[in-house]
Amino acid sequence: MNLKMNTRSIDDRASLIDLEGEIDVYTAPNLKQQIITLLDSGVRHILIDLTNVEYLDSTALGVLIGGLKRLRERDGSLDLICPNPRIKRVFEITGLDKIFDMYTTEEEALDKMRAKEGK
Amino acid sequence: MAVETTPAVVELSIPSRPEFVSVARLAMLGVASRMQFTYDEVEDIRLAVGEACTTAVGRAMNANKTNAQITIRSEILENKLTIEVEDKVGRMPEVTAAAAPPESLNEENLGALLMELLVDEFTVEPTAEGGTRVRMVKYAG
Repeated sequence: MNLKMNTRSIDDRASLIDLEGEIDVYTAPNLKQQIITLLDSGVRHILIDLTNVEYLDSTALGVLIGGLKRLRERDGSLDLICPNPRIKRVFEITGLDKIFDMYTTEEEALDKMRAKEGK
Repeated sequence: MAVETTPAVVELSIPSRPEFVSVARLAMLGVASRMQFTYDEVEDIRLAVGEACTTAVGRAMNANKTNAQITIRSEILENKLTIEVEDKVGRMPEVTAAAAPPESLNEENLGALLMELLVDEFTVEPTAEGGTRVRMVKYAG
């Protein structure tokens, strides 16, 4: 079990975290730390790509909610790319699909993020 | 074919540490895959077992009892899977997940909410040894 994390900068205030593997009680702390590191470096818009995530649990959801709250407090955003119906279902049954902006493709998510940055 | 009335039992014990939760998930994925569950139902069982173990691990870490074992016991009938996840690391706090707005849920509430939603029967009870037993039942077909 593992979680691979690849972060790339979109611009000064926006980054994309590409995840691959399982986000659970063992690996979620790494994601939390990465979000905090980006926030501390001045990033205000984070896009998290869950395309290659094959499992996530309540710990992962907790980290994502925490990140979303921190970013919104700073007029930022945390959006998700989530084309996998099985992963999306976890958000749907908990009602969290109404809290996060979720997209199917990176292109679509980047378009929306740029619109938010331009506000 | 005669309906089986004596369940097959698979039991597993893991340390109360985050890196071992995936071992329990994998084992239950194997058990559920042998039954007449759909692909989605197998995934539901994997997640529910993961959540039950995660709450035990969380309480073990808070109580500094990560050497305590968590027992995952499954009883397999033709179309019924019963899973009991038992720990010795304290009582699971009561949660009121269903009534809370999603954004205000913490990890503990989310875990309980997921377990409730993913299985057909879900009960939590304290054990005589001062731990918690989570019992989940899922019916196939």
